[in-house]
Amino acid sequence: MSAKVGPSLPTLAWVLLRLGAVAFGGLGATLALLQRQLVDRRGWLQERDISEALAITKALPGSTGIQVVAYLGCRLRGWPGALVAATAFIAPAAALMIVAAAATLALPSQPWVTGALIGVQIGVVGLLAASMWRLARSEAKGRMLTAVLLAGCVLGFFVPALVVVVGAGLIGALTAVERGDA
Amino acid sequence: MLELFLRFLVVGATAFGGGGTALPLVERITVAETAWLTPQQFAVGVGFAYATPGPILILAAFVGFHVAGLAGALTATVGVFAVPVLLAAGSAGVVARLNRYARFRAFGRFAAAAAVGLLAVTLVALAHPVYELHPALLAGAAVVFAADRFGLSPVLLLVIAAGLGASVGATA
Repeated sequence: MSAKVGPSLPTLAWVLLRLGAVAFGGLGATLALLQRQLVDRRGWLQERDISEALAITKALPGSTGIQVVAYLGCRLRGWPGALVAATAFIAPAAALMIVAAAATLALPSQPWVTGALIGVQIGVVGLLAASMWRLARSEAKGRMLTAVLLAGCVLGFFVPALVVVVGAGLIGALTAVERGDA
Repeated sequence: MLELFLRFLVVGATAFGGGGTALPLVERITVAETAWLTPQQFAVGVGFAYATPGPILILAAFVGFHVAGLAGALTATVGVFAVPVLLAAGSAGVVARLNRYARFRAFGRFAAAAAVGLLAVTLVALAHPVYELHPALLAGAAVVFAADRFGLSPVLLLVIAAGLGASVGATA
């Protein structure tokens, strides 16, 4: 427990709200922001707290960024801190998405609007491919996991996604025991 | 509304490997199984999710709004982040201990690898309507892919893509 001088809940909320508004660029950028604000600038936490939060939440399901935030919030102010930090961190993005959804529903069907939406559609295909590339490089460590990834590629077209994910997890859990490194 | 909450609760609880890997499941439940969104609306939602700060799964707010307005957006957002946030906050105790077991970590690793593989299905689902419009448009996607690999901001790329699309649409 590094933070004996933890912030008050409103201060925590305010800081995380501002972080949530500028946390562009995925997990790496978010971690850098958290470190700069919470460790370097405010001294609420130590470097070690962030790497520990990352190591643990990486193994859990769900968006890692907000999980690191919740974990650190818990470190600072217990359960209320976790909930306040996570809520404040997600609020700006949620507000933006609601505005975006409302805007797309209200768009007039002009040719330029259709064109812009097709442009976004094309862009998203490229971004998703790039994101898949990045994730594959970070997750497919070793021959076994590469095989699981490729199997997921193929099976995904025939088997429900949930079954593939949980099935792969179970195979992992079972083989880990067989190898005796539990 | 309950269905919306429960479906996103499942998405959050099974998103091994982070939020980006859960896109296939979101695509499945919002486009294929329920028709809450058209494929094009889904693609636009993913675009906004990339462009806004914070996690990709904030896509839940977009979907929720389309299904049931503001209340739907809040419901889906709470649903998708509830399990991950509670697990993370609780992990100071129980889960941190669980995390020491190789079996538990192996479950996460394998599930994450499979989930990344599943992204191929989403990629095909999103690329198909583009291909239907004109196969050559996929070259644009390839350019975006390359530009992203070179480190250009996804927000910038989407703005350029939308701008080009709008100008082509306006002149066509």
